[in-house]
Amino acid sequence: MDPLSTAMKVAASGLDAQSERLRVVSENMANAQSTGRVPGSDPYRRKTITFTAEVDRASGGAMVKVSNIGKDPGAFPVEFDPGNEAADADGYVKMPNVNMLVEMADMREANRSYEADLQVIKQARNLISMTIDLLRSGS
Amino acid sequence: MQPVNLFNLAAQQARWLSVRQSVIAGNVANVNTPGYVARDVEPFEAVLDDRHVSMKTTAPGHMSGNNTLVQDVSLREDDENPAILPSGNTVSLQTELVKSADVQRQFNINTAIVKAFHNMMSMATKE
Repeated sequence: MDPLSTAMKVAASGLDAQSERLRVVSENMANAQSTGRVPGSDPYRRKTITFTAEVDRASGGAMVKVSNIGKDPGAFPVEFDPGNEAADADGYVKMPNVNMLVEMADMREANRSYEADLQVIKQARNLISMTIDLLRSGS
Repeated sequence: MQPVNLFNLAAQQARWLSVRQSVIAGNVANVNTPGYVARDVEPFEAVLDDRHVSMKTTAPGHMSGNNTLVQDVSLREDDENPAILPSGNTVSLQTELVKSADVQRQFNINTAIVKAFHNMMSMATKE
């Protein structure tokens, strides 16, 4: 397989992985205040995402794949809010273990990696069109 | 008359550059993969010096093995990146983008030279 198309394919796998990561981050941020329904029940648990490198057999390129979307085992912070439907007998509610700052940092990083992948695709396209331009010079 | 070797050489370098671009793409795609070690291709001089042993085709069904381009240029671990993250990942995004810009520049020179020689040849063949 042509190495330049391999480059685009590999970078596209990076785009896929990073957008999956953005999805997980947005789920976490959207559910940062989602408590349970029943008194004393657990709230939303933060999701984590991990990537793994996988060699594409046809082309030999190192593609990236989402290996696992897991749950963050961290402890839930507790807030005093007797009016909440998830409050236990003493009026305490378990809140999701989502830290907004961590999610923001994660989002920025995903953004940056996505941009880098896009840049690589652009460059590969440029190389291809430079090669095609060789045919045009004859006129 | 000596056959013009330039087009062959230029094609080889173009192929080497595109393999390098695909390796860079792999590094950039795996910038957030734990334990991933950045890779790079061997320098172009090494590719030129290397006398490849190609497989012999003894039956019509055999493939020559020469069209698997990425395997043709051997890869090595990139040891120029001193920073290793706690996750074991050694990819530095800046370095990769600089390398990618470098590939683009060299490719530009390559195609410009080929274009110039092509023009010369068509000048010679016209009229």
